[in-house]
Amino acid sequence: MTTKRVLLLIGGVSAVLLIVGFVIGAVGSQMFGLGDPFVKQPGIHLPPDPVFPAAVRENVVGYRVADKSDDHGESQTEQAGSEAKDESKEEHHGLGLMQFAVTNTMLSAWLTSIIMLVFFIGGARKPKVIPTRLQALIEMLFELVLNFASSILGPEMGRRAFPVVATIFFFVLFNAWIAIFLIPIYQAVGFGANVGGEFKLATHLVRPAGTDLNMPLALALVSFVFVEYWGFRAHRFGYLKKFFAFGDLLRGRPSGLINIFVGFLELISELVRIVSFTFRLFGNMTAGEILVVMITFLVPFVATQFVFGLELLVGLIQSVIFAGLTLVFLSVAVSHEEH
Amino acid sequence: MVELGLNVPSLISYLINYIILLVLLGALAYRPLLNALDSRVDSIRESLEAADRAREEAATSRSAIEEELNEARREGQRLLDQAREAAERFREEEMGRARQSAEEFSERARADIARERDAAISEVRAAFGDLAITAAERIIRRSVDRQAHQELIDQVLAEGEQALRRN
Repeated sequence: MTTKRVLLLIGGVSAVLLIVGFVIGAVGSQMFGLGDPFVKQPGIHLPPDPVFPAAVRENVVGYRVADKSDDHGESQTEQAGSEAKDESKEEHHGLGLMQFAVTNTMLSAWLTSIIMLVFFIGGARKPKVIPTRLQALIEMLFELVLNFASSILGPEMGRRAFPVVATIFFFVLFNAWIAIFLIPIYQAVGFGANVGGEFKLATHLVRPAGTDLNMPLALALVSFVFVEYWGFRAHRFGYLKKFFAFGDLLRGRPSGLINIFVGFLELISELVRIVSFTFRLFGNMTAGEILVVMITFLVPFVATQFVFGLELLVGLIQSVIFAGLTLVFLSVAVSHEEH
Repeated sequence: MVELGLNVPSLISYLINYIILLVLLGALAYRPLLNALDSRVDSIRESLEAADRAREEAATSRSAIEEELNEARREGQRLLDQAREAAERFREEEMGRARQSAEEFSERARADIARERDAAISEVRAAFGDLAITAAERIIRRSVDRQAHQELIDQVLAEGEQALRRN
């Protein structure tokens, strides 16, 4: 009875908040002419922000703040404004290619790593025959990944691939989910700046690592190196014949030209995997973040909850895809089919 | 790419981050837990096999015990039969022997009796012969009256009786 009442209360409050959110959000305030929306239009910038050292942060955030002031500056003429934008494009406000700084995504990855280590090592370091609840949970997770790996690679190779694949899987999953579970920290903690006489959050302390291009790229490289290593280990230098198929042509068969072309395609597809791995994860995670801030901008409060649910699903799917594709590529690389 | 945030130090830091995670989790989470899972599988398999073995052993030992029991029963029966047979044989032997000895005894007794009787008859016959001769002698030697005659006969008979009794 009381549970029913509590649920009704929550439902009622949610419904009211949904309506209020719609009215005072960007959509409603335009429709009803209420002026500025409750949440300001978010500025979306793809590169992660540097957090430490402070000088680099000030530099990058300063540029961005100046950029925003320029956008809002009324004294400047149209011509000057466009010039300033052109300049800013040429200068590029983020980190340089080789410039070192601790970014907010990096901090998020470290936080995720620490949580992962505490969770997994705490539950699995001294396993008992009759498991504790945490150990049983971790056993279940490991067995899921191990069975997944074994179903693709067979039991022996699946066991060998398990550590690399499981680490990729859990790292992607935890990165995605921790950002959702610790949403207050991710959305509200950061460094402020003075923008047009108003003090506001200019950069976040932590930001989901999946939205940093370098994190998916690092995992893609790990996956690539791992697959190629096992390919070499399974076929020795014969593995290279797959990509450089000169054998038939050297034996005087003209059809060998086709093999060379196919080998070239194989080589390209092998390398393109890195790019597809990277941008699949980066795109999904970044799109999720953008969706969250856009929904918050358009309809604040309750509507965002549905997006969080969606993001939980997306995080799971992406981690399964990343681990699964690594396993599939690995099984192709070690398979003993004749070329 | 730099606009998207590509940054080499970040990339390296993520790689190092991944490798540290892999090494630490591999050594402190994956290996111990997977080994524990393996050993649990092994121990379950072993205990199942042990249970099977125990069941089989119980079955075989029960059948062995039954076999032994049957064997013992058969042996007992055999011994009993043997004993009964031996007793029967013994009884018959003994009875035969007893019968034989009884027969022998009665035979001997009968022979003894016959012999005694023959001896007695021949003795009586001899005595009566002697007596008759003696009586005749006396009758012949003396001529006596009737009374003396009777006395003589009585005397002879008495003597004869005495002689019989003596023998």
